[in-house]
Amino acid sequence: MGKKRKHSETAIAVAPAKKKDEAAPERPQRTLFGWKDEKHKNEQLEEEEQEAATHSTPLFRNKEKVLVTCSRRINFRYRHLMLNIVSLLPHCKKDNKVESAESKGATLNELVELRSCSSSLFFECRKHKDLYLWMAKCPNGPSVKFLVNAVHTMEELKLTGNHLKGSRPILTFSSNFDSNAHWKLLKEMLIQIFGTPKLHRKAKPFHDHVFVFSIVDDHIWFRNYQTSVPHNESDKIARGGLDNMTLVEVGPRFCLNPIKIFGGSFGGPTLYENPFYVSPNQIRALEKRQKAGKYAKKVKAKTRRKMHELSNPLEPDEFADMWKE
Amino acid sequence: MGVLNKRTALLKEDAVEDDDLVDVSGDESETESESEPEEGDEDVKLSEPSKNAIYNTDGLLDKLGDISWPDNVEWIHKLSIDIDQEQEVDVNDDLARELAFYTQALEGTRQAFEKLQSMGLPFLRPADYYAEMVKSDTHMEKVKGQLLAEKKKIEEAEERRKGREAKKLAKEIQAQKQKERAKQKKEDIESVKKWRKQRQQSGFAGGDKDAAMELSLEDGKAFERSNKKRPGVAPGDRSGGKARQGGMGKKPKKREIRNSKFGSGGRKAGKKQNTADTINDLRGFNKDNASGDKKRKR
Repeated sequence: MGKKRKHSETAIAVAPAKKKDEAAPERPQRTLFGWKDEKHKNEQLEEEEQEAATHSTPLFRNKEKVLVTCSRRINFRYRHLMLNIVSLLPHCKKDNKVESAESKGATLNELVELRSCSSSLFFECRKHKDLYLWMAKCPNGPSVKFLVNAVHTMEELKLTGNHLKGSRPILTFSSNFDSNAHWKLLKEMLIQIFGTPKLHRKAKPFHDHVFVFSIVDDHIWFRNYQTSVPHNESDKIARGGLDNMTLVEVGPRFCLNPIKIFGGSFGGPTLYENPFYVSPNQIRALEKRQKAGKYAKKVKAKTRRKMHELSNPLEPDEFADMWKE
Repeated sequence: MGVLNKRTALLKEDAVEDDDLVDVSGDESETESESEPEEGDEDVKLSEPSKNAIYNTDGLLDKLGDISWPDNVEWIHKLSIDIDQEQEVDVNDDLARELAFYTQALEGTRQAFEKLQSMGLPFLRPADYYAEMVKSDTHMEKVKGQLLAEKKKIEEAEERRKGREAKKLAKEIQAQKQKERAKQKKEDIESVKKWRKQRQQSGFAGGDKDAAMELSLEDGKAFERSNKKRPGVAPGDRSGGKARQGGMGKKPKKREIRNSKFGSGGRKAGKKQNTADTINDLRGFNKDNASGDKKRKR
């Protein structure tokens, strides 16, 4: 039902000019609340046309759709993180778990196309420990691979805020997103993927939460706050209301460490590589090796002692066989 | 040896020849400090950037041009705000970091709301607008419960702390009082002595009585009260010691003793228990020994 209505509305919005050209006045459409007000509609159309004319481009309409999936054998914590993100993005489609590894690029691209999405978030869990997040714009790139750290899900009780499901978030970026080419690219992708399209059918008309994307220590930190402003009407803030505004954290929290940026979606030429990145596997190996180092050190000390003894032999004891005779 | 070398090479591009033990141990401590987790599952960074990392600026900008929306897209479509981060944030200082994020969010929302207000769009949820929330009611109930429990815990701890402090204070006050009392007593005795001396000097002829009184005053025992609640009364005594002191006159003495022992009211326990008075009271002991002996002798 909802789908059908939406379709008709988009048709109106997309092709306003066509309808106007038709000379014969059309019979007004019937709606649930009576006849659709043709005159009002026309006005609206004219307005939109004017807008389009001033911009001299076709009317911009954000039709972003995000496919959210995860790999098989994902941790419960990371799965909850994914579900939280699904609840934050009304313009996303959640899909079944996908077999990760090898041929994922092709299958994932296919899947995204099948679900007619324009971007995708893919949560890949490896070894039940490490979470990688793929963020891709779908038909023809780019895509980014992140390592996800410091995950806190919305279910945690210390995050006490709450906000409308589907209200459009305000996105705030720290200014160091404009410092480098790769940060600029990431910012654009984040705006497109995490921003809810205007007039999306599931979006609510109010703004009561804010996303924070901040680069600290070459990582992107994500926070989600609820805004609470003292007010009594929906479009007016009481005097000094902005100063009295407080934020309550809603969650989730995570920290993205960009690893690589690829030219295509889920593949393609590498455009950027994080020069500081060490994979968690290497870190673990390092720790293990440190523990193993103890034995190696001992062995080394022993051999050195032996070498030392060989090179500096003891003087023969002249009294050694004094009592033997 | 080879293992050690490999490990150091991992962190530092240039492998250091470590021949002596001291050098090795130094390296060890360094790597340990570097690989210490920052926040549970935090990551380690290379100390210096690897040299062969790809950075294709042109490609990146190209892609950016490909995906970005037309320039004249209105702000209302993006809702994005850039906020200046005043100073570098220390990642490991949790409080400072969260504060930086919070201020960024606050500043951003302020700017966004001002923009929205200038556009004349309704953006705040009216009080009577109910809709599905991100977190369910049951979850929020849990959150509330948690908050309340925490509050209660804090309050209880506060109460306990207050009690402890009050106790301490009471103790101090008590000690102070006792000190004062002792001082007062000393002063009193002192003044009495002084007065007596003055009297003697003025030529008052005191007899033996005076000397005896002096003795008792000297050790100060006369002023001391017995710390017993009812001196000379057995714990089970109902007459308040009157029975021992002997008669109010009318009733026969024996009756009174009996009443005090068996009469109604009061505690029944500990009646046969000895007290210091009953022990010292030897009145009934060996009363008719002499006659008995005589009988036996006979």
